[in-house]
Amino acid sequence: MELHILEHSLKVASIAKEGIQFFTHGLIKLAFLPSKTRCKFFTLTETPEDYTIIVDEEGFKGKLCFEKGAACVRVSVWLRQQLNVVSGGGSSSSSQPIGVTKIAKSVIAPLADHNISVFMLSTYQTDFILVRERDLPLVMHTLSSEFTLLRVVNGEAVAANSLGVTNGFVKPKLVQRPVIHPLSSPSNMFCVTSLDPVTLPSVATILMDIMFYSSGVKESAAPSDDLEYIRFFSFSLIEGYVSLVMDEETQKRFPLNVLFTSASGELWKMVRIGGQPLGFDECGIVAQISESLAAADIPAYYISTFKFDHALVPEENIQSVIGALRTNEGGGQ
Amino acid sequence: MSGSKPDILWSPHHVDRYVICDSELSLYRIESVGNSEAKAGALRLSEETTATLLAINSDTPYMKCVAWYPKHEPECLLAVGQANGRIVLTSLGQSHNSKCKDLMGKEFVPKHARQCNTLAWNPVDSNWLAAGLDKHRADFSVLIWDISSKFTPEASVTMEKIRLSAGDTDAGLVVTKPLYELGQNDACLSLCWLPRDQKLLLAGMHRNLAIFDLRNTSQKMFVNTKAIQGVTVDPHFHDRVASFFEGQVAIWDLRKFEKPVLTLTEQPKPLTKVAWCPTRTGLLATLTRDSNIIRLYDMQHTPTPIGDETEPTIIERSVQPCENHIASFAWHPSSQNRMVVVTPNRSMTDFTVFERISLAWSSTGSIMWACGRHLYECTEEGDASSVERDIATKMRQRAQSRYGHDTEQVWRNYLLAGGDEPQLKSLWYTLYFMKQYTEDLEQKPVVNKLPLVYSGIKNIVKSSSGTVESRRCWNGSDRQADVIRYHSDERCLALQLCGWIKRGPEIDVEPFLQSLEVEREWERAAAVALFNLDIRRAIQVLNKGASAEKGDLNLNVVAMALSGYTDEKNSLWREMCSSLRLQLNNPHLCVMFAFLTSEPGSYDGVLYESRLAVQDRVAFACIFLSDSQLPRYIEKLASKMKEAGNLEGILLTGLTKDGVDLMESYVDRTGDVQTASFCMLKGSPGEVVKDSRVQCWIENYRNLLDAWRFWHKRAEFDIHRSKLDPSSKPLAQVFVSCNFCGKSISYSCSAMPHQGRGFSQYGVSGSPTKSKVTSCPGCRKPLPRCALCLMNMGTPVSSCPGTGKSDEKVDLSKDKKLAQFNNWFTWCHNCRHGGHTGHMLSWFRDHTECPVSACTCKCMQLDTTGNLVPSDSV
Repeated sequence: MELHILEHSLKVASIAKEGIQFFTHGLIKLAFLPSKTRCKFFTLTETPEDYTIIVDEEGFKGKLCFEKGAACVRVSVWLRQQLNVVSGGGSSSSSQPIGVTKIAKSVIAPLADHNISVFMLSTYQTDFILVRERDLPLVMHTLSSEFTLLRVVNGEAVAANSLGVTNGFVKPKLVQRPVIHPLSSPSNMFCVTSLDPVTLPSVATILMDIMFYSSGVKESAAPSDDLEYIRFFSFSLIEGYVSLVMDEETQKRFPLNVLFTSASGELWKMVRIGGQPLGFDECGIVAQISESLAAADIPAYYISTFKFDHALVPEENIQSVIGALRTNEGGGQ
Repeated sequence: MSGSKPDILWSPHHVDRYVICDSELSLYRIESVGNSEAKAGALRLSEETTATLLAINSDTPYMKCVAWYPKHEPECLLAVGQANGRIVLTSLGQSHNSKCKDLMGKEFVPKHARQCNTLAWNPVDSNWLAAGLDKHRADFSVLIWDISSKFTPEASVTMEKIRLSAGDTDAGLVVTKPLYELGQNDACLSLCWLPRDQKLLLAGMHRNLAIFDLRNTSQKMFVNTKAIQGVTVDPHFHDRVASFFEGQVAIWDLRKFEKPVLTLTEQPKPLTKVAWCPTRTGLLATLTRDSNIIRLYDMQHTPTPIGDETEPTIIERSVQPCENHIASFAWHPSSQNRMVVVTPNRSMTDFTVFERISLAWSSTGSIMWACGRHLYECTEEGDASSVERDIATKMRQRAQSRYGHDTEQVWRNYLLAGGDEPQLKSLWYTLYFMKQYTEDLEQKPVVNKLPLVYSGIKNIVKSSSGTVESRRCWNGSDRQADVIRYHSDERCLALQLCGWIKRGPEIDVEPFLQSLEVEREWERAAAVALFNLDIRRAIQVLNKGASAEKGDLNLNVVAMALSGYTDEKNSLWREMCSSLRLQLNNPHLCVMFAFLTSEPGSYDGVLYESRLAVQDRVAFACIFLSDSQLPRYIEKLASKMKEAGNLEGILLTGLTKDGVDLMESYVDRTGDVQTASFCMLKGSPGEVVKDSRVQCWIENYRNLLDAWRFWHKRAEFDIHRSKLDPSSKPLAQVFVSCNFCGKSISYSCSAMPHQGRGFSQYGVSGSPTKSKVTSCPGCRKPLPRCALCLMNMGTPVSSCPGTGKSDEKVDLSKDKKLAQFNNWFTWCHNCRHGGHTGHMLSWFRDHTECPVSACTCKCMQLDTTGNLVPSDSV
């Protein structure tokens, strides 16, 4: 299997809800005018608590004026690493687990075992695992046994050599990882979709409305009485590919035939991880969730934000997922 | 092809149809102007062709790519890849084919929607359609659909919770189960089936090129590269593939897939299309964005690379089919080098890339050129005499008659040249006299104050001193002549060079007169006699001329006129002669009367009579002009000769730098490098021959001989040259060394490298005495054996046919001692087997392989010149 180490250097930032007005100009440029910036990696995820922005250094320097609203922003530097697992690609595709489940054993667990903190980002096209820049040699060392490591330089993949560095931790025995953090499952359902970048301008106003003016619209559009409802929207533009995560209600606002709907029209339920902000230092959170899902062979998307983690699982599997995770939770304590 | 940018596709089977696709599909038919002049709505594509719109199909929105069904039936079936990844089959125009009706509107839907980047029909199993899609985290990017498959709600499909919209489920027109799925979690940007095997698919994936083998889908061959767009197989060379990235085109050899065989020079703008010409091998057309030119790379003469280092050569050029920017182009499938280009606003141009013309001009005058698949030969019309007069023909004939090679009787070269050009005659006689008198001077040790004869009369008279004036009477006339004559050693030498007097101290023109009489040059002889103040002899010559066979009786009349000469200033004779002489046609007769009627000391009528031979004028000047007049006159005449490139002027300039200047204008005028080369080689060693112009003439003449395949003549010339100019002798470049001690065994005989690369011959046995040497002179070990007679090298060939003849061959070098060519040792540079040249030559007359058993080397064929036959005889 191959693992590609991408060349972007990324920053993860959080913008407070009330502070978003200071940044809309820069964000719109990053999201809708990719040709005007040299930014190749941009995501914006709205959660009830804040906006999480992941952007590469080009975009961070050039377009985001963080001085203005410095109080509202917390920035953390991460280096990224994209998983591009090229497996045998056999014909038994129909039941193949996708997303974070597929790489749980091969990537997430080993990294957790070596106490490497990861930041997961699933998109329509692929999964990204972000690791701290200083952890990279160790990551490479950890994964070199399972993967052909390829470093991307100027768009061309070249073999990357493991540097043989360890952080001093001996490889622990594989033990059941208990789920530590509290879980919640909002009621609304989500879809993960994409669109043709060419058609992006035609839906730009809708997207802007959803991104920046959600609070106003939400009152009328969503059932506010539903306590379990969660406001969650994610937009990413990574190397020219657009990926969107939105709930069913939001999806209805787009014209027909613009969004890529999969043939199976699948919908996803969310599992939200964390009662209070998780921080960036704790490791093993993704592993706790993904290993349980992998054990049950349930496909999932996993989106980390500045404060909390979110896993998306097929709607029909939500009960079994919750069940499995709760069991695990109990077992751990 | 997103909305604004049209693309163009030729019908695979109807050579007159093509489709333009942008937001809709439009089918056009292309016709020549003659057929469709009357039709309305025909679009002019070029001076000869128009296009008519046949059908439009706008049923399929969000088109991203289109592929034309490759088989004859159904003829107008197109697969359209859409922005959401669906592939729709559609057609243009009516089709009554039932199969086509079944297929029409059929959709192939991937599990997860994303853009369809490319489509490719399998050329063999035309039911197979490969689609390249963008990336999805869990889905495959290369899907191979079977267009004949029906929609079947299989178990596996239901498991994926298919929620098709109500409209799709009817009529079984939607297929969701591909035949093959490849490239998981990857993006596919371009695709093509490999002609090598029906089940091989080449795909430009995200960051790599991959070859998928459908017989074993778990295996793939891939190479990491950025050049992943527009993969396309050379239709003439199935292992050659082109792909591009931004402005760079990479050419791949599938047999050596690790890296591109070559990368074409980067364009400043990103490329949009790269296509091999289907009608001509190795021609690749590329188009960049916002450009109105198509760049062509001609790999026509590219040899298959053998080693890693061999970079094939490519001829690059550009064509501009129209003024506007080009959106796309397509080669015509069968019409040679023809393409249709389309601009962003859908105006189209039919365009034929003009083939480069290669022209060959034979050294014997015929001309031939190739254009495309046609070969043209040009024959010159008109009479043969123009060819005969051509300098190339003349030089060829002269080379065959060994012109220039007579180093003893130098004047004979004039006869070898054909004997009909007065300039050459003057030149060779001058050179002859120069040679003669140089030898004379060398024998006389005292006269070192004389300048070198070869530096010409101009320099000789400059140094003139001790001139004696004398007044002489007319011979045969009692009257005192009022003519002053000048005499000095230098003037005497000049007269000798002019040929008027023989060598020796005597100033006697009688032998010259006699020789002129023999050649029946009566008038000239008379003039020379007269200039020597022998009027009686002149009259005698004219009488002789009149009475000779076919003589001109008018000469008698001239003689009569001459006999009436009087030096009376105001006589009637003088008056009439000076006016009537101008009507005389013969320049010699004319100058005779000019001389007689002229005032003493002013002989312009003679000196500036341009019809008179230079040597006569110069000789005349040497006799009658004073020391102050003479150099001025000679100087003037010499520069005139130089300007005109008249070889007679060599008499004045000699073989000096001035002479080279003169020869330069002669060569400029005539192109006769042959005469120039031979003439300049006669010059005193080292001086003029070193002049770059002279070297240029010599090299050109050698090349010319080679071009005529006059190799023996070339060799003769080289020998001739090295005799006259020892510095031109090439140093030995190859030595034969002993296998055992490594010392050269041919130290005494200069090695003579042969023309070809594969075979070389060396005279290892320099003389008959040495020919008995069969062992290395250094270590006494035996020399290798001839592969045929098994005798050691150095042993003479015992029975070689035509020994006597080959003796004659050797004779050309006038050195009987030189070893016979048949005895030379020769070997193949490839397999290192060899033997006596004579044996080898006779072996390879009947065989192609090396005579050594078990050696399969085709030695003789390795020699590129081995099969060429010289066109001159030895």
